[in-house]
Amino acid sequence: MTSATSDDTGVGTASWEVAAREFAAWRAGDRAALDRLVRLLTPVLWHLVRAYGLDRESAEDVVQTTWMALVRNVDSVRDPQAVLRWTTTTARREAWRTARLGRRVDVAEPQTLDAALPPVGGPDSTVLAERTARTLWRHIAQLPERCQRLLRVIAFEDRPDYASLSTELGIAVGSIGPTRGRCLDKLRGLLAADPEWSDQRD
Amino acid sequence: MTDDVTLLRAVHDMYDTMDPPPADLADRVLFTLQLEDLEFELMRLEEALQPAGARGPETASTVTFSAESLTVMVTVSDSGPHRRRIDGWIAPGGALRVELRTPRGVHETQADADGRFAFAEVPSGLVQIMIHPTTGAEVPLHRPVVTPPVQL
Repeated sequence: MTSATSDDTGVGTASWEVAAREFAAWRAGDRAALDRLVRLLTPVLWHLVRAYGLDRESAEDVVQTTWMALVRNVDSVRDPQAVLRWTTTTARREAWRTARLGRRVDVAEPQTLDAALPPVGGPDSTVLAERTARTLWRHIAQLPERCQRLLRVIAFEDRPDYASLSTELGIAVGSIGPTRGRCLDKLRGLLAADPEWSDQRD
Repeated sequence: MTDDVTLLRAVHDMYDTMDPPPADLADRVLFTLQLEDLEFELMRLEEALQPAGARGPETASTVTFSAESLTVMVTVSDSGPHRRRIDGWIAPGGALRVELRTPRGVHETQADADGRFAFAEVPSGLVQIMIHPTTGAEVPLHRPVVTPPVQL
């Protein structure tokens, strides 16, 4: 697994500047920039929305709805630098709302998901990556639901808006940081106790 | 011990491997955003029925979409090589104007009083159905309703 570059404090940092640039270009009349913006951020939105437990169809609906909301309310994004946060926060809020309405929440167990995956094959590096992913998936599935959700959100959104996250996770704003630390520690503990994990990582 | 950033990166890569976004999701989003007027209600895919054991040219599948005020059941069947036929049924029934958006243009028809409509000879690719408020139709719609784009 590659290590983080030094100027990268998280995973999503690379994209907010690009997103801001594309958004500004689109606002200035470059239609193709919207195309690039959608292709850049749609995978991020997908993972954020899936963190709320929606099934795949509902998750797709929420991603579509988020982009429609951006185009309809484009004037509410005054600063292009805010476009990443605007879309991610809108997507999470909509996902949370949809999940609360009780619509088709996905309770897929890792095993069923495992079965849906193509058989492991291909180059050695791919095999290793998949094996690593499966191991990690198995351990994350043992964490409390709140931890699973929080970790998936922060793995795809570098600095999520804490106010909305607080509502969605049902914890105080001041507890998000400590909760994040505890969740990561729990995961580290599970991984450390798994010889298979250290084998794969060495 | 793995530091936070490395661990979160592993979590990121894991979800990308185990639960990736549908490959054409961005294409479908962009297909919808091409609509000039976004003042419509996006329908939700309620259920997708897999082809019921059928194989070969008779393969058909049915999907249901719902909006606040109506649902539409759509059956897609083969009508030739790379050609599909779409049969739709709007409920409650009404003689509503129906548009089918395809990458190659828009087809238009009107549902009958029972809400049934059809498009023969639809090329494969992304399509999207748009149902418009229609004067004289029994079903009052305040704004158009649009299905998410689906691959034929």
